[in-house]
Amino acid sequence: MMKVLFVCSGGMSSAIVVSALKKEAEKQGMEMEVLATGTGELENEVDNGWDAIMVAPQVRHRLDSVKKIADEASIPCGPIPPQAYTPLGGPLLLQKLKELLNM
Amino acid sequence: MSFVDFLEKKLSGPMAKISEQRHLRAIRDGVISALPFIIVGSFFLILAFPPVPKDWALALWAKKHIFEILIPYRLTMFIMTLYISFGLGYNLAKSYKLDPLSGGQLSVAALLLTITPQLVKGQFMLPMTNLGGHGLFVAMLVSIVSVEILRFCKTKRITIKMPEQVPSSVSRSFEALIPVAIVILLMSLVTVVFGVDLHHVVEQVVSPFVKAGDSIFGVLVPVILIVFFWSFGIHGDSVVGPVARPLWEVYLAKNAEVAATGSQNLPYTAPETFFQWFIWIGGSGATLGLVLAMIFFSRSKYLKAVGRTGVIPGIFNINEPIVFGAPIVLNPLLIIPFVITPIVTTILSYVATTTGLVSATYIMPPWTLPAPIGAYLATGGDWRAVVLVVINIAISFVIYFPFFKIYDHKMAKMEQSEQADSGTTLSM
Repeated sequence: MMKVLFVCSGGMSSAIVVSALKKEAEKQGMEMEVLATGTGELENEVDNGWDAIMVAPQVRHRLDSVKKIADEASIPCGPIPPQAYTPLGGPLLLQKLKELLNM
Repeated sequence: MSFVDFLEKKLSGPMAKISEQRHLRAIRDGVISALPFIIVGSFFLILAFPPVPKDWALALWAKKHIFEILIPYRLTMFIMTLYISFGLGYNLAKSYKLDPLSGGQLSVAALLLTITPQLVKGQFMLPMTNLGGHGLFVAMLVSIVSVEILRFCKTKRITIKMPEQVPSSVSRSFEALIPVAIVILLMSLVTVVFGVDLHHVVEQVVSPFVKAGDSIFGVLVPVILIVFFWSFGIHGDSVVGPVARPLWEVYLAKNAEVAATGSQNLPYTAPETFFQWFIWIGGSGATLGLVLAMIFFSRSKYLKAVGRTGVIPGIFNINEPIVFGAPIVLNPLLIIPFVITPIVTTILSYVATTTGLVSATYIMPPWTLPAPIGAYLATGGDWRAVVLVVINIAISFVIYFPFFKIYDHKMAKMEQSEQADSGTTLSM
């Protein structure tokens, strides 16, 4: 089971994209747990066994600080491209996730 | 480099980075940590002044018990600065990897030491006014100074070191002794020995800003900046908020204080609630009108699908699906109404509020409520606020519509030609 953490400003908007990724993963027969969180809560959340951290496009100015936290926990971390950050963006999102994890 | 690239690399990008500055971030997180107390506390104002005819039993009951009803408000929203100062010190210390608890407590001590207790009928009383909106800027100042002193002592190793056998919790409390002593001595020197009222001094400095932020330009500047950032797909509120939110909270606190006396003459137009309920209907850029256009008037299948997935989040003021899905980001055709709509609705709402056609806001409902409900609650139950929201949604629809039509036409044409293409490949 793969565990993916989305980071946006408050964890609200990425919650919508969460279901898009889950649906696409299901289609491809991958078992996946996805959680949306805010940049403020990241430090408390980071140690809960995540396989990847993806940063929402609207907080990309915080990518560096998120990456730093992710690096310390040695979790791969990358940005979500704007085109993938929609309820219809599941396929592109999964592709980016696979690229991030070298799958 | 194209013009858009230039703006992104030279302007919006660096500006967004500034908002990530450590102290600004601590102020932001400090204020945000207090919001639940402000939201819940503010609702007791509705209970104290229920939006029903004055001769109803509920209104009469509330009038009789107003002092008691407002006690929860007085101990939460009314003294919001006390909560914010702890949150600010906690977060700033945490960002330096110092003990967050010490940072929070030190900030509270520094804030309390700017206020002189009064002896009333043989009992000590602490005046509460400066623990509210009035004291917010002082709290920001002294909280930052105290945590910096904590950090200075730590990095210069000005601490009392205990032998290793001493339990860590004990040695930590000794470690905090010197910074605590410095902060308390410093604040006592200012407040007690020199008799300086920091709140008075800081008020002189910030009052021009407080005044400017509530003018029509002070309201338009954050609106324009927020949509400017979102046009590049950067979370505008999270960039503008750290700078503007302290002012917005002061307006809200002072409006609530006046409302708590039963007066209708609220001093400020532009607390954050003004933007939230009258301008950002459906999310930043007032996109609810666009969503309606997409659902009912799309010829493009894609835009219809995006509109459908965006409508429910949009009702709750979340519009990333539309901003990134339509997309509005880096799409000049939709950026134009995305910028114009909130400017128009801001001017209208500002005029409506300052002329008294609609009550000013003083209650903070959670931002994910649908706008008509949120506006009704935020104004303490003014039905005219609901009318203003409906008018603003209509304005949003009218401004977005022509741009949406052009874009929809373009998209529908593209979809047709794509279909035609795939059709030919199939037949081959």
